[in-house]
Amino acid sequence: MSGTQWKEQLEHILGSPLRLKQIKLTEWHKATALSADSPSSPVQSGAVKVASDQWLWFAVQADGNSVEVLELKNGEVTETERNLISWSLLHLRQGKRASASPAHEAERLVEELGNWIQEAIDKGTLQSEVPDHLTAGGRLFAKMIPFLLVSEQSPRKNTYVELEKLLKSFFAEEVMLIPLKEQEWLILGPLSLLNDTENEERSVEDDETEEDLLTSMCSALHGMLATEWIGECHLAVAHPNTPAKSIVETLALLRETVYLGRKFHVSVNIHLPWLLHLERLLNSIPEPQRGRFMEQVLNRSDVLLEPEILMTLETFFSLDCNVSETAKKLYIHRNTLLYRLDKLKQETGLDVRVFRDAVLVKIILLLYKVTKRK
Amino acid sequence: MAGVRLEHVYKKYPGSETASVTDVNLDIKDKEFLVLVGPSGCGKSTTLRMIAGLEEISEGKLFIGERLVNDVAPKDRDIAMVFQSYALYPHMNVYQNMAFGLKLRKFKKADIDKRVREAAKILDIEHLLDRKPKALSGGQRQRVALGRAIVREPQVFLMDEPLSNLDAKLRGQMRAEISKLAKRLETTVIYVTHDQIEAMTMGDRIVVMKDGFIQQAASPEELYNNPVNMFVAGFIGAPSMNFIKGQLTEQGGAVRFKATGVDVTLTEGRAQVVREKGYIGKEVVLGIRPEDFHDEPVFMEASPNSIVSANVEVAENLGHEKYLYLAGLGSDTVIARVDGRSTIKEAQNVKLAIDMNKIHMFDAATELSVFENK
Repeated sequence: MSGTQWKEQLEHILGSPLRLKQIKLTEWHKATALSADSPSSPVQSGAVKVASDQWLWFAVQADGNSVEVLELKNGEVTETERNLISWSLLHLRQGKRASASPAHEAERLVEELGNWIQEAIDKGTLQSEVPDHLTAGGRLFAKMIPFLLVSEQSPRKNTYVELEKLLKSFFAEEVMLIPLKEQEWLILGPLSLLNDTENEERSVEDDETEEDLLTSMCSALHGMLATEWIGECHLAVAHPNTPAKSIVETLALLRETVYLGRKFHVSVNIHLPWLLHLERLLNSIPEPQRGRFMEQVLNRSDVLLEPEILMTLETFFSLDCNVSETAKKLYIHRNTLLYRLDKLKQETGLDVRVFRDAVLVKIILLLYKVTKRK
Repeated sequence: MAGVRLEHVYKKYPGSETASVTDVNLDIKDKEFLVLVGPSGCGKSTTLRMIAGLEEISEGKLFIGERLVNDVAPKDRDIAMVFQSYALYPHMNVYQNMAFGLKLRKFKKADIDKRVREAAKILDIEHLLDRKPKALSGGQRQRVALGRAIVREPQVFLMDEPLSNLDAKLRGQMRAEISKLAKRLETTVIYVTHDQIEAMTMGDRIVVMKDGFIQQAASPEELYNNPVNMFVAGFIGAPSMNFIKGQLTEQGGAVRFKATGVDVTLTEGRAQVVREKGYIGKEVVLGIRPEDFHDEPVFMEASPNSIVSANVEVAENLGHEKYLYLAGLGSDTVIARVDGRSTIKEAQNVKLAIDMNKIHMFDAATELSVFENK
């Protein structure tokens, strides 16, 4: 129903002309005193006011200062007709609200979806498929790239609207933002992001894998969110999938990824599940066993815990045990690096240039990080 | 453009016993190029990230211009950042990458276009505007990252090791370009690096940090000539300053420094300082820069009281200069830098004169400079 079409229809049913009138809110409240059964807010439940013995007012809509009312002579309508007008206006307002804000409807839908996912995770039913009414008109049946965003800043007003707008600008395409816990969102990005970068231009470097592309997309999105939106935040990404079928499982994986990433790599903000296999395995070892292992190996020497050695080993492992590259990255002479590695070998018996020892030291370093903060 | 002021700034991470950054006080002037330098884990990046708003400040105040910005979101601080990992948006072309920040800030299309094209011209990347990041070389990507910051025309540029992913040749080239750019844009720059060559060649002022504390903040010349402690003395300069532990004695009015293989006489001005400060008979550390050793006969004849004798373990000829690795002076190897035409060879016993006007001396216990800042 649009414009005043509804008024004409009411007039037709009642067989009597109706008059729309603008009154001040104070006038409305003054009239409240005369009518004990009328609610004080003009837009509540088809509000009716008895303005005087002679006139009846029905609130149509209200703003901060004024109320638009339908004015009728008191004796012109029966009690039934009065209820009919009241009911019609109530539904007119509800209809207007629903049609005026599809954005709110979409927000309500994703909120409901977020709650459903959370419930499925709580129940441990990770294989659950999204019910039809929550698939956003079938959108969730398309393959999408899932990101999990966890912010560290206090939530602000209108966060959802602001964030969704920002993401739409960034991806320049449809994106779905699903609010989860406070300061936690699941972002479903379009798959075309990967196809675009894969097909359009050849890389000046070697061919990139899907994981490389996802990493650079995650890194770019994190950079954008950190600088253009909220500051520090954590972001994880998983391989593209069909949310309708695997959204719960994906969220569980992403949450675990963020948890492991934050636990084992404190200064890192971008967490990638395919780089955390060893961390996942180590995390599953019961705490007492981990503690015993650390006690045994660290008793050999404290040299592994020296900040300089820690930094050297972190860099050495991150550069695939390449001595020259590590020296370059650390701004030290190659011989200085070799001296440090020799010192480590002398004191612990572990030579990180030998694969077996390198694996052991890597495990020690990872476990040290999580046992240190106990 | 604006200055930046840090007043008693601390950063302490939850669960950590010590602060990562302790009581940092800095007044960075408008249009100044300030370099934060120090080894890994010294707190330089954390300081920069606090200025950027990416890390919360645990204690203290941060002003950009006259505005207190502790609680201002990164996007509202009017700063632009360039990081080590360029994090260009892989799905956007160069033009879109540079325009994105302006688009978010609701700039008019014509203004965006003008700014992007002007920045592209400055950086010589006009011909790359339609390309995606993937099709760019490392140096080109770095220029785009700079361009993205330039178009914003921010009050302050923050750069965190922006050149560390580039090879040595390109790094040298970009170093000069960033310096030129900063002068041309007449803007305040805060630049973080490991690399002391970058620090010395780019900064109007350098802040040396260690373990979260500022060690010294001064001009490159001042840092090099008058380091306040052994850490700064050893960190600035390549090869590093040589340190020889020994004792000061006074005989017949002359103050002499004695250590294994070393017996040299201090100049009268320096002798007076150590006398006044009560260092006679005490243990001190002599600091000699490699270039302050001389093998020229004229210099040797003029400085009979500063000649030392040592064995050349290794002689590295770099063409224009020669590094001599000397044994027998104190307990560690000492490096001397002599002219490339010098005839000194490996395994030779040589006599060298020390330029006693340029020596440094440090308290053996506190490691602070005995001669102080001049």
